[in-house]
Amino acid sequence: MPKWILVFLWSLAWPSLADAHNVIAAVWPAGDVIEGEIGFSSGEMAPEGTVVRVLDPDGVELGRTTVDGTGLFRFEPTVAVAHRFLADLGQGHVAEVELAVDDLPAALASRAAPAESHTADAGAVADGMVEFDAATLERIVASAIQRELAPLKRELARRDREANLQSIVSGLGYIAGVFGLLFFVYARRQRR
Amino acid sequence: MHIVDGALAGEVVIGGAVLAVGGLAVGLRSLDLDRIPATGLLAATFFVASLIHVPVGPSSVHLIMNGLAGLVLGWAAFPALFVGLLLQAIFFGFGGVTVLGVNTVAIALPAVVVGILCRAPIRRSSPTVAAVWGAVAGGGAIAGTALLVAVALALSGEAFVPAAKLVLVAHIPIMIIEAIVCAAAVMLLRRVKPELLGMAPAPASGTAHA
Repeated sequence: MPKWILVFLWSLAWPSLADAHNVIAAVWPAGDVIEGEIGFSSGEMAPEGTVVRVLDPDGVELGRTTVDGTGLFRFEPTVAVAHRFLADLGQGHVAEVELAVDDLPAALASRAAPAESHTADAGAVADGMVEFDAATLERIVASAIQRELAPLKRELARRDREANLQSIVSGLGYIAGVFGLLFFVYARRQRR
Repeated sequence: MHIVDGALAGEVVIGGAVLAVGGLAVGLRSLDLDRIPATGLLAATFFVASLIHVPVGPSSVHLIMNGLAGLVLGWAAFPALFVGLLLQAIFFGFGGVTVLGVNTVAIALPAVVVGILCRAPIRRSSPTVAAVWGAVAGGGAIAGTALLVAVALALSGEAFVPAAKLVLVAHIPIMIIEAIVCAAAVMLLRRVKPELLGMAPAPASGTAHA
């Protein structure tokens, strides 16, 4: 079956994806990889299997990854440049988000300049306790923190783009102002 | 339906901007002092209506209300909807500034067309028939918008027929709701403020003051 027929059938079931026009995308470092999320302002996530293209600042493709069932995707960076993530959700919905060099996973930076003195004897056992070397411990702590922070980061990214009452009211104020100004201009023209 | 930045080819963006400027010029020329408040009001209606997502079944839709804007404003729908779109792009990142021209044309042009086609029958006919024409205007404007969005996408590379079908199908719930809302609005306007539709003012209020 041609792919578009599947997409077409799928759109019958969830028509809202087409009109929930605000695409939200966010990326963050998660341990050794870059993790990101793509979805719509309505709270629905990008469909599973959506292809995410990863580009460097010059537009050269660094690789591709796909969105999983929860709207998340992961990408393991290999070069220390800013990463741009692009996903085409169809119907004019394009998600684009960038991760700056400074935000790249710390592992990448240390890989570029290796051999820091994490040379404690790995797995040395003392008094029946398993001892981790510093790097392993760091990784465990980092992934635990990441797990805890992920929902918060997601929520922040969502709020960032959400329409709130304050901006709706200020928008109405602008409309009143613009048409008030127009009224003034037309009234002046008529008086002359 | 808003197209976002980066989805369209440069030529389409420029073409849309040129058409939008033309529409705006015609719209501003057709405006007169008496109709500016109505224009502002419909700009505000559009601005708010497309922010409020109404849950329908498992999903949610939002109104566009361009059919009503076209019925009341005619060509002046261009400036009204442009202002709404501009503010949405600035405040909420809906659409985007570069594709503002394309979005303006996609939403305002069908509004103008249904305005021209449906105004006369609404003025002439009985309230019930007028309501039907209102529904046609409301639903038709959405269909026109969906079609123009598909054209813009097709010109930028997406295959036209699937894209058009996809956009049209996705808009069916909105078309139905807009048709109902627009029909109700036409019935109300004919009773309380017929001059907005270009009809003679309601006789009842005239005699009450005399």
